[in-house]
Formats: sequence, structure tokens, C-alpha cells
Amino acid sequence: MSPILEIRGLSKRFGGVTALSGVDLAIEEGEILGVVGPNGSGKTTLFNVVTGVHMPSGGSVSFRGRDITGLKPHAISRAGIGYTFQQAMAFAGLRVLENVQIAGEHVRVNAGASHHPWPTPLALLDFVGLAALADERAGVLPFGSLRLLGLALALASRPALLLLDEPAAGLNDRETAALVGLVRQLPGHGITVCVIDHDMKLMQMLCRRLAVLDFGSKIADGPTGAVLADPKVLDVYLGGDL
Amino acid sequence: MIASRQPNGSAISALRSLLPVLVVLALIALVPLLSPSNRFLSLAISAGINVIALYGLSVLFGQTGILSMGHAALVGVGAYTAAILARDLCTGFWLALPAAALASALFAMIVGIPSLRVGGHHFVIMTFAFGQLLAIVLTNGGDYTGAATGLDLVGPVTLFGADMSDLTRYYLMVVAFVAAAAVASWAIINSPYGRTLRAIRENERLAASLGINVGRHKIGAFVVSGIFAGISGVLLAHFLGHISPTQFASFPSIYLALMVMIGGARLIAGPLAGGILVAFLPEVLNLDPVQSRIVYGVCLIAVILLLPEGLIAGVGQVFRRLLASGQPKQEREELDTASTTPSEVRR
Amino acid sequence: MRAVDIFIQQILNGLSIASVITLIAVGVTLIFGLTGIINFAHGEFLMIGGIVTWLAVSAGLGFPLAAVLAILAVGLMGYILERGIFRFTLERPTNGFIVSLGLIVVLQHVVVLFWNPNQKSIPRPLTTVWEVGGVRIASVRVMVILITVAVVALSFRMITASRYGRALRASVEDRDTAALMGIPVRRYITGVFVLGSALAGLGGALLIALFPITPFTGGTMVMKGFAVALIGGLGNIYGAVAAGLILGIVEGFSAGYGFSQWTDAYSFVLMILVLLFRPHGLFGGTSGPRMAS
Repeated sequence: MSPILEIRGLSKRFGGVTALSGVDLAIEEGEILGVVGPNGSGKTTLFNVVTGVHMPSGGSVSFRGRDITGLKPHAISRAGIGYTFQQAMAFAGLRVLENVQIAGEHVRVNAGASHHPWPTPLALLDFVGLAALADERAGVLPFGSLRLLGLALALASRPALLLLDEPAAGLNDRETAALVGLVRQLPGHGITVCVIDHDMKLMQMLCRRLAVLDFGSKIADGPTGAVLADPKVLDVYLGGDL
Repeated sequence: MIASRQPNGSAISALRSLLPVLVVLALIALVPLLSPSNRFLSLAISAGINVIALYGLSVLFGQTGILSMGHAALVGVGAYTAAILARDLCTGFWLALPAAALASALFAMIVGIPSLRVGGHHFVIMTFAFGQLLAIVLTNGGDYTGAATGLDLVGPVTLFGADMSDLTRYYLMVVAFVAAAAVASWAIINSPYGRTLRAIRENERLAASLGINVGRHKIGAFVVSGIFAGISGVLLAHFLGHISPTQFASFPSIYLALMVMIGGARLIAGPLAGGILVAFLPEVLNLDPVQSRIVYGVCLIAVILLLPEGLIAGVGQVFRRLLASGQPKQEREELDTASTTPSEVRR
Repeated sequence: MRAVDIFIQQILNGLSIASVITLIAVGVTLIFGLTGIINFAHGEFLMIGGIVTWLAVSAGLGFPLAAVLAILAVGLMGYILERGIFRFTLERPTNGFIVSLGLIVVLQHVVVLFWNPNQKSIPRPLTTVWEVGGVRIASVRVMVILITVAVVALSFRMITASRYGRALRASVEDRDTAALMGIPVRRYITGVFVLGSALAGLGGALLIALFPITPFTGGTMVMKGFAVALIGGLGNIYGAVAAGLILGIVEGFSAGYGFSQWTDAYSFVLMILVLLFRPHGLFGGTSGPRMAS
């Protein structure tokens, strides 16, 4: 089976600084892949290039066999790739329900998942456990709920592939566990997930496969256990901690 | 939880916001029964014509978060379209309406595409410059635009054979147009389109991540505001019978922005309240034009610093806070995403 | 007059107008570029500088003293308005802009209320006109140009070379870090605002030395000031001076060769083009200070 997202030789330079150099990465349909690496390893740049914020300096990204290199952010989303941000999680001034309604109104129905597991915005809010807060303004939600709302927004855009950028940053253990529980259900709903984070504990809970970035290059890719045992990874990233 | 929510609950609550506006307009339509003075009718007609343009501005600024200093220029495009069509093609009022709406919408698109590309705070300066440019072009347009003296517009406004040029009839017609503008703006606010615009206002990057074409929708909002402005321009041209470039330069735009902000740009009642207040407050307080301008300016500054969501919302908020004075104050501040209260400034 | 004389004449005329515009633009570029405050009422500051000069000269004071009074008065006004109003809008530049629109209306009409809307002029402080070849050089124009050059050079030095200037630029880059480093960011913002206001006061004094003014003179002048500041690149004093020169000369020529009705359009057209194709200005600048989000 061909991968759902295929990144080939992706490079990005900012002035003289090389943030990504020739990264190859394939995401298989139905998996939860983790992309890890220390700060400055190129994780966020990879995320920004794939989601259309930055134009790549070289290489290509194809999604379900279609070349999506250099498309604008809204076009990437419409192609069926959903993504969440670390910072901007929801529209703070609008009601929670309105947030999810907006998110569902700009998808091409055939773009993402073929069947939508959550037919209404409320069903989706129910899934992430926020239905009781539907009429609140998003700005008054506690941080943990805001993260979940961010996830709900991305899901409402009916992605076939969901990119999560540090989805558990700022969450306590209980909230992280709730998030992990939700994300694990996604492949069962036909949604492939790619988590970008440096939190190893979270990655071990979520991912069977890990890719490791360092200085803009991929240095390891494989089953989580094998990658974590890789001396190169231990050396470069974990500093021998594990 | 889910079952308890009526599917049409939000539609009813949305109607509740429109109803007071329509009731007030219905009352305003009854005013001629009191045989008001011609001065009152003229003032009210001018105010109503402004309010129509303000409803467009409220879609642009209140919903999308884009501030334009060229709105009077869009009104001017409508007014000049009406006057030039009437002169060259003997086009009457009703045909001028769609033509002017189209012309203003086109002008908005031509101005909007480059201006919105610039983005950020520079956008507002761009619209200001385009507004001034239009006035300069109209002034230098020779006989075609009537140069600095402007154009006269003659010819009666008729509706089903009845002459509407009479002050009372024109007044009633303007009230009807205001009602239509309010309903149109209400429909936009409560549609998925309105939600999309609000999403852009709240966070452009997040909006784009959900598949919203931010650039195109911003230009779209600008065009929509142009349609309102164009119609307002036709009514203005036919009411005054004479138009000139200075009416549509940047300072009139500033006054329009001022009115919509005093009333509250995000509320359906805001433009109506702003337009009426600015037109009639000087009459009520017996101020001369110079004094009343000073009062507007001070009001605007006070509203922005103290009641950032406009007078109506601000009064409502104060009222609600008085009712529920036990509630923690912090919540309100978090609710006001657009607010800049002194306590927020840290340094 | 020979063609070359007309040419030189127009350059001189253009330069004196350009001087006043440059004074506004330097104020705008400092205030907008370094503090993020978009003060459209800056033109009214200029107008009030002119009115103060007019009042002082009418009261029998000499022009130099009147100009100093104008600088002090408008500087003080800037201080009061920054402390009383603009500082509450720092985190929301749009609100600051709207407030400045309110200020335009208030300042214009307060002046009308007290001193009527008519034109105001003072006798020319210098009346000598030198004839060099076929060119008539009015000494008052030369004075305006020289004062502007001196004052702008002084401001330039203050911003680029002094300790304050370095700290100021650090606070443009990153307000929060600058504040953490012990730089009194708030006080610097006030300082820049007062400096920019004082420059507008001087500009007003110089303007009324050249032309009569009305309470509504500020409107077009501020647009030109913003245009020049943006064309030159925000925060870039050198750029503002260069752009002011270009605009002044273009306007002078245009007026001299019979296109005076289009004079006001050039600055807008040029600004629109620059913003479209070189958003950081012809000579590079900041895109305004980064706002705390």
C-alpha cells in the first residue's frame, strides 16, 4: 500500500541557515507516527512546510499520490490534511459551538475521510468531551479544554491525515491521558495521525513508529522500541537518559 | 445534553437581536404622523442614508475586523454613478441602484486586492490614500465629473407611478431601505458566511488551517461593504440633488468610522444607534456644528478607551454587571477580546 | 527666465516644502516605527504648532521665540496625550489609530471654536530675496531648509549614536526582553512620542513662515508625512529624509510646470506602489514594532 503522505528530499533554508536538508518521510495510512527531535532540529519547520506556511527550498510533498508542494494553507486543509497549532487553538471571541461549526463549513466533502464519524458539530464536541460547554465563549475555557477544542476544530475539517504540533504542551497528566485516549481512537475512524513533539513519554504512549530529526536531517526511522534503542538517537537526542 | 438543545434555538435567539431594530424602525416610520418639521425630516433622511452605509461598514469592521478609511469613497462611487447615469443615459433611480451597487463593489475589489495584500496596520493607510485619490481624480475629472463643483442630479424618484421626491415620502423610502440593510446585514451575520468572517477576525492563521481562503474572504467582505455603500450613495445623490468630491474624501470616511464605532460595530443595532446619535445628539443638546464635532471626537475616544464594543454593548454590559455585581470581574475582561482597558497595559 | 533658472527655482521651492513634510515624516517614522502608535492626528499637532506661532507673533513676540514656544507647547501636548490616552492603546494599535481619528476631529474644531476657521498668516520672518543669475532665492525658504537639516541631523544622532538610541532600538526588537534587561521601555515610548510631537510643533512654525494655514491644514500634511515615512521605510530617519526630498522635488516640479492640480496625488500613488512592491520602504525599515500578542 502506498503511503498517505510522502515527503521526498524536503529542504528549507532561511537566508544562510539550513533548517531542513533533504528529509524523506513516508506516513502510512492508519498509523500514528511520531516525529521527535530536540529544539531547533527542524520539527516545526517540517510542520510549517507541509502545512503551507513556508515554501520549501527543495523537495516535494505528495498526499495520496497528489503533489501538494507549495499549496497555500487553506488549500492544504481542503486537500484533507488537518493540523493543530501549539499557540492558536480556537477562536477566542466566538462560542465553542460556533468554533466547530466554522471548522466544518469549508471542507470538500469528498476530500478527507470518506465517512465522517461525527455527523454534527455537537457530536464532535461530545467526542472530545466539551458538549456541556457548547454555548461558552472559547476564550473563557480552561487551557486543557482549549487544547481539546483545538483538536475538535481540526477534526471538524474532516482530515484523512491529522498533524498535531505538540498537542500535550501545557497539559497536566490527567489531561494528557484524556488526549492520548482520544488520539488513539482516531485511526479507528479512518484518520491517520502524525504527532510532532519532543515529549518522549507522550510519544511512547501514542506511537508505534518514530522518526527522529536532528539538525534538519532524519537520523532514525522505525518501530518505537528500536528507535529508542538506537545508539545514534540515544547519543544525539536523549543524551543517554533512557 | 444533546437532546435538550433545540435545533432552531439559535435561529430564535438570532431573531431576537433583529427584532428591536425592526420595532424601532417601525416606530420611526410612524413619525410623519406627528407632522414633523422639514428640518427634522432632512436630518433623519441624512442619518438614514448614513446608516445604510454603516451596515456595510459593520460587516467589514465588526465581523471581519478590517478597518477602512475609504468607506465614504465607496459611497461616492455610488453617488457619482447615479449622477453620471442620470445625465448621460437618463437612467432613473431604480436602475441606478443595481448599477451603483455594482460600481462600488467593483471599486472596492480594485482597491481591496492591493490594499489587503499589504495587510496589517498599513491597510488602513492604504484605504485612506485611495479615498483621497478618488477625491483628487473627481476634482480633476473636468466636465465629466463636474470637477470641484461636482454634479447636479435632476429627475424625480418614482415608485409605482407615485412621486417619491416629496420629503415625507423620501423619508419613508429611506426608512424602508434602512430596514432592508439591517435585515441584509443580520442575515450575513447569522449565516455561515458571517461565521467565516468572524473566524478571520479572530485568527487568520487558524482560519486558514480550517480551509478558509482568508485573502478571498477579506476582499469579499470589502466588496459586500461596497454594495451597501453604493446603494447609500444613490439615495444620497437623489436626496441632495448635487454632489461634489469633498463629500467623499477621507474626512467623511472618518466620520462614518466614528459613527459605527460609537454605536458598536458588532451589534445589529450598532449602526442604527450610531447614525441616529451622531445626527440628532447636537439637536437635542442644542450644539452648533463645531461644538458637536468636538463632542463626537471626545465620545469616540471615551468609547474606545472605556467601552471598546460600542455604546450599546457597553451600556448593556454595565447594566448586566450592576445586576450581577457578585460575579467575579475577571470573567468579563476575558470575554472582551477587543478590549483595551487600562488594567491590561502592563508597562 | 531661462529653462535652467526655472529648474533651480523649482528645486528650491520644492525643498522648502519638502522640509516641512520631512519634519512630519521624521516624527511619524519615529513614533510609528519605534512605538507602534499610528497617530493620524500628527498633522493636527503640526497645525497647532502653526497656530501657537501665529498667536505668539500676533502678541508681538519675534519669530524665533514664537517657534520655540510652538515646539514646547506641542511637545507638552504630546506628553499629555501620550500619558492620558495613547499609552492605554499600546497593545492594540488599531484602537490607538481610532483614538487618533477622534483627536483629529477634536483638535481641529477646538481651534475653530476659539480662533475661527479662517486662514492665518504671519509676516515673513525674513524678507530678503537674493537674486542669483535669474533665480530668486527667498531667504525664508533657505532658513526653513537649514533649520530642518540641523534638527533632523540632531534627531538622527540621538537615535543612532546615543546610549538611549541603542536601548530604544533594542526595545523595538523585543519589548519584553528589553524591559527585562532593565530598559525603561515605557519611558522611552513617551520620550519618542514627545520628540516626534515637538518636531511637528517646529514643522508648524516653519509652515506658517512659508504659507498661511487653516485649522484643516493638518489633514493633507499628515497623509504626506505618512506616505514619506512609509516610502522611506518605517523607523528609518535617513529613508524619511530621502523620500521627503524626492517628494518635495517632484511636487515642486509638478507645480512649476503646470500640473499643480495633481500635486497631492503623487504622494499617495507613490506610497501605494511602494507598499505593494517594497513593503519595508525604498530604503528599508522595520515593519513596526512587534506587538505582544
